[in-house]
Amino acid sequence: MSARVPTSMLAAFAVPGSVVLGLFFLIPVCAVLVGAFADSGSAFGRLAGDPVFWNGLRGTMVLGTVAPLFSLVVGFCVALALARFAPGLRTAALIAISLPLTFSGLIVAYGFILLLGRAGFVTLLLAKLGFDPAVIGGFIFSPVGLGLAYSYYLVPRVVLIVLPAISNFDRNQMLASRSLGAGSFRTLTEVMLPQILPSLIAAYCLTAAVAVGAYGTALALAGTQVNILPLVLYSKISETGTDLPAASAASIVLVAICAVVVSIGEAMRPQRKS
Amino acid sequence: MPFVAIAYLIFLAAPVLLLFVGSFGEVWSGTLLPSGFTWRWYQEVAGDPSFRRAFTTSLKIVATTCILNILIGLPLAYAIHAGARGGVRLAARIVTLMPIAVPELVLAFGFILVFSSDALPWLGSFWLLAAGHLVLTLPYTVTALVADMDQLGLAEYEHAAATLGASFPARMWDVTLPQLHTSLLSCMLTVAALSIGEFQLSNLVSGFLSRTYPVVLLQAFYGATGFACAATVVLLGLAMIASLTSGLTARVTGRRKVGAGA
Amino acid sequence: MTLRYDQVSYSYPGTSTGVFDIALEIGRGELLAIIGASGSGKSTILKLLAGFLKPDTGRILIDGKDVGASLPEARRLGVVFQNYALFPHMRLWENIAYPLKVRGIAKQERRARAIEMLGRVGMGKRAEDYPAELSGGQQQRVALARALVFEPQGLLLDEPLSALDAGLRLEMRDEILRVQRQAGIATLLVTHDQEEALSIADKVVMMRDGRIVQIGTPRELYETPADASVAAFVGQSNLWPGSISGDGMVTTPVGALACDTQGKSIGAKVTVFVRPERVEPITGPVDASNPCCFAGSMSADRYLGPVRRIDMAVAGGAIRLETHLRGPITGVTIPHDAIRLLPPTS
Repeated sequence: MSARVPTSMLAAFAVPGSVVLGLFFLIPVCAVLVGAFADSGSAFGRLAGDPVFWNGLRGTMVLGTVAPLFSLVVGFCVALALARFAPGLRTAALIAISLPLTFSGLIVAYGFILLLGRAGFVTLLLAKLGFDPAVIGGFIFSPVGLGLAYSYYLVPRVVLIVLPAISNFDRNQMLASRSLGAGSFRTLTEVMLPQILPSLIAAYCLTAAVAVGAYGTALALAGTQVNILPLVLYSKISETGTDLPAASAASIVLVAICAVVVSIGEAMRPQRKS
Repeated sequence: MPFVAIAYLIFLAAPVLLLFVGSFGEVWSGTLLPSGFTWRWYQEVAGDPSFRRAFTTSLKIVATTCILNILIGLPLAYAIHAGARGGVRLAARIVTLMPIAVPELVLAFGFILVFSSDALPWLGSFWLLAAGHLVLTLPYTVTALVADMDQLGLAEYEHAAATLGASFPARMWDVTLPQLHTSLLSCMLTVAALSIGEFQLSNLVSGFLSRTYPVVLLQAFYGATGFACAATVVLLGLAMIASLTSGLTARVTGRRKVGAGA
Repeated sequence: MTLRYDQVSYSYPGTSTGVFDIALEIGRGELLAIIGASGSGKSTILKLLAGFLKPDTGRILIDGKDVGASLPEARRLGVVFQNYALFPHMRLWENIAYPLKVRGIAKQERRARAIEMLGRVGMGKRAEDYPAELSGGQQQRVALARALVFEPQGLLLDEPLSALDAGLRLEMRDEILRVQRQAGIATLLVTHDQEEALSIADKVVMMRDGRIVQIGTPRELYETPADASVAAFVGQSNLWPGSISGDGMVTTPVGALACDTQGKSIGAKVTVFVRPERVEPITGPVDASNPCCFAGSMSADRYLGPVRRIDMAVAGGAIRLETHLRGPITGVTIPHDAIRLLPPTS
């Protein structure tokens, strides 16, 4: 309603935020995009001829599929379990689960070095059982192993998106389905899953975009040794005298992947009821 | 399902526990767990000049980021909440999605390209780093505050205050802000937690003398295990305190809302 | 002090919905109720007076002064919102004292006046409580007190009872009327509950599609509705399409009826309207030669406590009646003075 706030006042309220986002977000991002076309697009050609880029892209595709998928399965199960908790306990568990969201990727990285690194706790434990420590210790430095470390802060995101959908789900539908003769597994897959599918897809897309774009954990875990696109890009940016247009072109590929995934997730996002 | 939840909680706790254990271990090399107990690593971290400077820088950055988030994010969130038209909402939604669609690495690259130019030679400065942290946390602040504003139903309270004779500034001060202060507090604590742990942008954008704690921390990973653990635990502790307080604050707000609805 | 709408029109931007040609006057101490289905524009009328919306054309006058351009905070109107909108972070007395605070009244005085006002709505002992500690009815009382404490020029009630349980609604209806009479203030009540409107309003306005269909006393609306839609919205009714078949005679699907045809020409289309309680039941044999008597059987018999509401199936249709008689009904009589002729529904 117009009488609530003068429109000019609202516009003034939005000005500082818009300026900040314009100056420190839009301009830098545009500079990267423009930079890729600085030498009339030949940067893309050089990038396409670079085997390191293709290796990185392949690794990122593996990581961007495995990490969100694993996180989604775990997160969904955790959310199902949480939905049955008493409200007080559920809130406490949620606060604990959300903690990793604000953790630096570095904390996760070093934690996993201690857990699964070449001399890590689990690695040595399994070595005592006769497994080859070199194989176990090398796992965490592969894209799949990296996916496991990423899931540390991806699972909470899944839980936070999926839990409301599960909590709001009408339990009577489950009871109705059971009374009509369906088993609990069929009820879960045929009654509940189709209805919370939008939330699951949204959670998958969000976590996939995060997994594709992040580099901090990977850098701390393995330096630039792992073949994923962000680390390829990081090497290009941090080395001096590098091919900046090619780095811009790689950035565009990275942004394109993330933007597409985020857009799919946004299109699937369950609409708010209000 | 409970099995998965328990396994997950162990998975959640294991790295953190190992970090704690390692930070007090005298020697830890090639064994399952460290041997001996010592405070030495914490003393070394506390005595290290580059860690000390980074710690101070990080606190300054966190404080600056929080203050700027309030000064800039709160009015922006209110404008989006009260403007509420389809177009405004869509634009706001896109703004909140941008940091996910554009990885920090790419943003950092953009900073390097734009702010190392002669026209804007700000790369490496404290204020550019703060601006970077602001841009990364602003979407969170705006999303959280707009959601809270919508849920509080501020429009009706403001209309009521208007019919009782309150002018726009009086309505803001007496009715709108007091109802927002817990959600603002909770939001700022989360921003603090995010800002203190931020690595991906700071690593490329901060100058040598204005490196933040996480950036310096990375160097420690190549040294002694105990030192790296202790240095990581410090960061972990700060992030945990901020997140836990934020979670508890939000819970208090939630309880009040439930009470009001009854 | 009077509240007046002078040919006010407003349409929501980008739509054709709104309110059109509204002309209304609420006198000092008068309670005017606006009723209508949802979407009929009744809330829009309140928002225009409160100042949340600005009229496209026409004037809104408070005490003779055009307030069309002034903001809500300058209009001095007490508004009770549907969900009360009590400020959750203020104690009850602070809520009530708020309008006094923004008018610069000293803390001691505004506290005293707030507590006195709380007493007038029976909440004097709860001054230090917060709104969340109150029940719906108690919040309603506080909202009413807050809307009146600054001696406004008018009182606006937006569906004030819709959030309450049925029993409490009756109690609060009387409470609102008592407080309103005591304050002697021009009052606008918006409600979708016609019974609520008829029971406490001095004047009732029926809205449809953004236009006023009828203004009148509750009795006028009930007994002489302007058209079939008003008759159907206000209370129970029999409504039959009919045509004039002779002087004092009208033909309907249920049969020919004798009534005052008000000089309408033969063949004219009308809607025949009879309130169920005016239909007289017959318990014995039915005299079929009498044109106003109809033999029939009960197709529905609803026991409502004080009365039974019965649908009689007769040749050509159904007649609804209400009676306090027990036992079987064999037919009905429709007295000629119970029949009103309304414009035909198109």
